[in-house]
Amino acid sequence: MWVPLPEFTFLLGLINAYWFAPPLILVISLVYAASRHEAWPLIFRHATRLFLMIAGILALVTVILLVINTQV
Amino acid sequence: MLDWTFCVDGPLPIPSDPTLLMEHPTTAPDVPLKNRSLAALLALTWPGMGHVYQGRKAKGLLYFLCIFGLYAVGFALGEGANVYWTWVNPLRNPEHFRLYYLGQFWVGLPAWPALIQATLIHQGFQPLFNGFMAAPMLDPTMDNGVREVMQEVVRRVFSLHQKYGGLKEIGDIYTTIAGLLNVLAIYDAFEGPAVRQEATSTADVSSTSEAESA
Repeated sequence: MWVPLPEFTFLLGLINAYWFAPPLILVISLVYAASRHEAWPLIFRHATRLFLMIAGILALVTVILLVINTQV
Repeated sequence: MLDWTFCVDGPLPIPSDPTLLMEHPTTAPDVPLKNRSLAALLALTWPGMGHVYQGRKAKGLLYFLCIFGLYAVGFALGEGANVYWTWVNPLRNPEHFRLYYLGQFWVGLPAWPALIQATLIHQGFQPLFNGFMAAPMLDPTMDNGVREVMQEVVRRVFSLHQKYGGLKEIGDIYTTIAGLLNVLAIYDAFEGPAVRQEATSTADVSSTSEAESA
């Protein structure tokens, strides 16, 4: 018995691999913030900040690496 | 006497004397943890279930959607062939040791069939459901019935790379991180949120500050 979702997997395969990062960062941010707070405004505020921080660092590293690659 | 320190949500009172920590609970007030051990066990069994048991239903739903959702998408990316376990000694047989499963395990029930399959194969029995969530591993000591099923498992796993390239690796990462995130959820079910005191606005904090200085 295999997962009856080959069509779904095929569709996911059409997506550029980079687009799998934002949902992952979002989930990490939400779960981490929810483990820190009980009040929803604080959870969302913390999650937003964390999401932007992680995405920002990743984007910055990507830009630096791209710049280095163009100089090599 | 309280010192003021700053955290991600602004200033929070921290007792200067560590012995006063007992008087100031490390979890938010009014968080109904009920039986904490049972809640943690339920959270381990299924993402979010511990929080639903505690009556923190919205948070349970958030954990379920985030953790199980991430796991399910990762599982689909590998067509179910990226969550498996092998009973091998990592020092003697490192190439067949499944490091990812040490993270995936913590998702709970959705990942545990892999343990059953690995145990059946290790004991020389035929895996269930045509090798669903069984490790793609062939052993010369396997009998013909088991070998036949396992050859199909191996063929299927190696065909994933031809069909989808690196998707399976992304699925590995998704499912593993989902399990690791559930460790945070389990801890939250057991201990409550990690903040010292919840203040939903700066007004609450400033009023607390005035009260302290008075």
